[in-house]
Amino acid sequence: MKECLLCEGVLSNKPSWQGFIGFEKQQVICEKCSNSFERTDIESKTAIIVSTTSLYAYNDAMKNYLQQFKFLQDIALAAVFQQELYDVLKGKSNIVPIPVHPNRRVTRTFSQVEALLDYAKIPYKDLLEKRDEVSMGEKTRQERLAMKPLFELKSSVQIQPESYLLVDDIYTTGTTLHSAAKVLLAAGAKRVEAVTLIRA
Amino acid sequence: MVRTLDGTVQSFLDGRLWHREHTPFSMQEIKREIDAGNIRTMQGVVTQRGRFGRVIYRCNRCLNENEARYTHFDCAKCGGNCTYCRSCLKMGRVSSCTELLYWTGPPVQFSQKHVNHWQGTLTDLQKRASEALIASNEKGRSHLIFAVCGAGKTEILFEPIHRLLLEGKRICVAAPRVDVILELAPRFQQAFPKTRVTALYGGVKPTLEPAQLILATTHQLYRFHEAFDVVFVDEADAFPYTADETLQKAVQKAAKKDAPIHFVTATPAKKMIREAIQNDALSMIPRRFHGYPLPVPTYVALWRYEQQIIRGKLPVKLHQWIERQVTEGMPFLLFFHNIELMEMTLPLIQKIDPRIKSVHAQDEQRKDKVLALRNKQTPGLLTTTILERGITIPKVQVAVLGAEQAIFNKSALIQIGGRVGRSKDAPNGDFILFHHGITHAMDDAKKEILLLNQKGGFR
Ligand SMILES: [Zn+2]
Ligand SMILES: [Zn+2]
Ligand SMILES: [Zn+2]
Repeated sequence: MKECLLCEGVLSNKPSWQGFIGFEKQQVICEKCSNSFERTDIESKTAIIVSTTSLYAYNDAMKNYLQQFKFLQDIALAAVFQQELYDVLKGKSNIVPIPVHPNRRVTRTFSQVEALLDYAKIPYKDLLEKRDEVSMGEKTRQERLAMKPLFELKSSVQIQPESYLLVDDIYTTGTTLHSAAKVLLAAGAKRVEAVTLIRA
Repeated sequence: MVRTLDGTVQSFLDGRLWHREHTPFSMQEIKREIDAGNIRTMQGVVTQRGRFGRVIYRCNRCLNENEARYTHFDCAKCGGNCTYCRSCLKMGRVSSCTELLYWTGPPVQFSQKHVNHWQGTLTDLQKRASEALIASNEKGRSHLIFAVCGAGKTEILFEPIHRLLLEGKRICVAAPRVDVILELAPRFQQAFPKTRVTALYGGVKPTLEPAQLILATTHQLYRFHEAFDVVFVDEADAFPYTADETLQKAVQKAAKKDAPIHFVTATPAKKMIREAIQNDALSMIPRRFHGYPLPVPTYVALWRYEQQIIRGKLPVKLHQWIERQVTEGMPFLLFFHNIELMEMTLPLIQKIDPRIKSVHAQDEQRKDKVLALRNKQTPGLLTTTILERGITIPKVQVAVLGAEQAIFNKSALIQIGGRVGRSKDAPNGDFILFHHGITHAMDDAKKEILLLNQKGGFR
């Protein structure tokens, strides 16, 4: 008997849909939970990031999801959006997840963006390293602007004059993505795009 | 001189089983006690070999052994394959590399100064049960109290608990539902004004006090380890207790070895009664404390009620029943088998009185709504089965819409009927089963109520 990862309700035994890329799409949440998320597909452009696409709104269901995924460390929930992330990221090259600080990664026991990509079976390149441990929420806007870059390139990483695609779980102020994009552009990337699961 | 222990690692951790990363103490303080040999650690998730060499995972906090409730992952903390338990996740994740702490240093010495301040008097049947329970405690055996709804079960426990407290024993009263704990806590605190009574349920902050008398949802027992000298399990059959074997194991784990575990219920399973009779440890109270019989259900056919409601029409007989409760000023509860039907019915019923509301398990205003019913600010509540037990509202009238649904088994129906006529000045009331067909469960419930009334001396 399979249970919904979110509400523990029993999942109906519908024959599972066979994915065309060879991995079977597993139903991991129930229809009711699935409908509680609000798909928005917002796209925005800035001078630094040519296009940022965000799949979902930050509604109550999404807040609870993120809380359980990140703070209760429920890595199983990375499976919830595997199909949706696969659909927007399949076939893209130079996918770069926004990393968490190495210390944070150890205490959380995983990096949430990498987990999302792993479950979606999307290959990625681990190019960036987080420098500062203080979370963005604890800083004022001035402090954020005055800070040195949040990320640096990992040693021995070579950036090609190509297009790169940053992936993050949530887009709030855009500071994180912009900071990462600037590092890639400064190192020779031709252009930077971004995809986030959520837009706050 | 009594040494106060408040706020020490010992007073917090003695009897508990706690996630090392989530204690209210600093890492250094915990480390110091481990080095001193006062705290030992236990691996959070362990593996065992089952039949045919199959690997079985077990969470040492909640004792879950259901493979579907485990997730395996590549852990950045322990740098390898790690497994965590999703069953008790909400209490803070426990994985293969999690350490659970338990106290092995000198035990907390609990107070032996307590008073039983309860002023009421017990009926003869209550008194006999109370004395039998004291005798069972002295012999260290588990006891079953089979008491009809409204028999006054809680009062029966006061003196036996008082005696245990005087011996410095540590006691837990566990119930599957938070509503029951919330109702019991103030009554126990009033009965034992000199005793620290601590209520534990989901979301409540852990206290640092060495609580001697704990009222807890059965889930909270996951966080205890050989803590209690005696455990009372109230409404022992209530969902999810019977449904979830791990909760039963959790009760065993929370009790000290060989500690008596007493069950108190209006609807015990046959097996439970059989065992209690064998051990000469059964007390039966077939009579309500006020001496009036249990309300017998009335069947009212409402054919195709669901289709009528979907079409936006409230079935006539249901409309009439609600209208009568509202005009006569009688508080009522109308039970539903699912939320969807309940939410569909609510606007139709609010045409009779817009103050009528609905409640369900996830409802954040659940406590307030029940209070509003008690205070007569709301004339009635539509509810899922969450309110089927534990709650007492004077003069409440009760009906079930869709009594034929599977969720309304015999014990659920008996518990629902048990809400009616609980006070001495209003010992009767409606107990209506609106149905689309009569089930065995309905007949079994009715038969048992009639039988209990007969045993209680009514014809
Ligand atoms: Zn669900
Ligand atoms: Zn567990
Ligand atoms: Zn680990």
